[in-house]
Amino acid sequence: MKLLSIALLLMLTPVLSAKAQDSRIQMSSLDHLAAKASQTVDVNLDERLMRLAARVFDDKDTDEREVKKLVAGLKGIYVKSFEFDTEGQYTPGDLETIRTQLRGPGWTRLVNVTSKKDGMVEVYLLFNGDAVNGLAVLHTDDKELTVVNIVGPVDLDKLAKLEGQLGVPDLGIEPQKKTKNDDEK
Amino acid sequence: MKDDYLWDKTGQPDPEIQKLEEILGTLRYEPRPFVLPRRRNYFPLLAIAASILLAIIAGSIWLRVRSGDEVPPQDAKLESPTPKPLEAPQPPRTGSALNPPLHASNRIHKPRSAPSVVNDEEALAAKEQLMLALRITTEKLSMVHRKTQPNQIKNQHRIG
Repeated sequence: MKLLSIALLLMLTPVLSAKAQDSRIQMSSLDHLAAKASQTVDVNLDERLMRLAARVFDDKDTDEREVKKLVAGLKGIYVKSFEFDTEGQYTPGDLETIRTQLRGPGWTRLVNVTSKKDGMVEVYLLFNGDAVNGLAVLHTDDKELTVVNIVGPVDLDKLAKLEGQLGVPDLGIEPQKKTKNDDEK
Repeated sequence: MKDDYLWDKTGQPDPEIQKLEEILGTLRYEPRPFVLPRRRNYFPLLAIAASILLAIIAGSIWLRVRSGDEVPPQDAKLESPTPKPLEAPQPPRTGSALNPPLHASNRIHKPRSAPSVVNDEEALAAKEQLMLALRITTEKLSMVHRKTQPNQIKNQHRIG
């Protein structure tokens, strides 16, 4: 019986540890907002689809090559974005389901910017030692709620380099130093 | 002759009875310790079998969990296997890597197997999703940068 217990433990350990190391945020709790939203963006790219997408990038194109390099080590990108016609369509409870996960071990809030015009943007990084193993961006506005989750080793240098190639102006983002926000914990 | 011998083995025994006793004595009950027959120990084999079974179950659960997280497969149109004629030359490509132009390419489509075509279409759809995700991500990061930029400008002035 002891041998059986040990075998069971050995079998389940990789499964459990793989799940524990996953920096993926569960966003399904926000799905109900799609019915209220005037515009919804829902991107679910797991590792398989990322690899598949990387296959069709043109290596001769400099921009595409850069994007391919960026996503090479990533295990997934998940985005949920809702735009509403009127205010108050989402509740603090909706945000709390996301923030609760971002208060978990390893996650650090890097930046928190609040403005009347653009609402609040929070940037979280998941550190595994010194390495960044995940990124989450939470943007809340009166009429918008966006959650971005990048799973895997995010290269902020490369991500910053993509700016200006993604339909947004090049604002010269530089990767920021890790500044752990103690207020968050 | 007294019959006490038959009851409690006292008194004079009858020779015939003694003879019978000798004959039947060989069949007398003799107490012996109870010994179970030796059986093979199947426990290690059972443990290995159970481990393999558990591995299969755990693997299938893991695969199911993973496949549940994945996006449902998208419908993809199958291209006709017949080669298409050359189309008129297209204007030079103007879109960036992340905003690819939506015009059709002018290369000849070679006949391919259906799974390959489906895979290609899935890959293109995945690429579009990836671009959209990266665009949103950098847009949000730009917003953060825009809000934090005044501090940098002050610093640059101080340095300058």
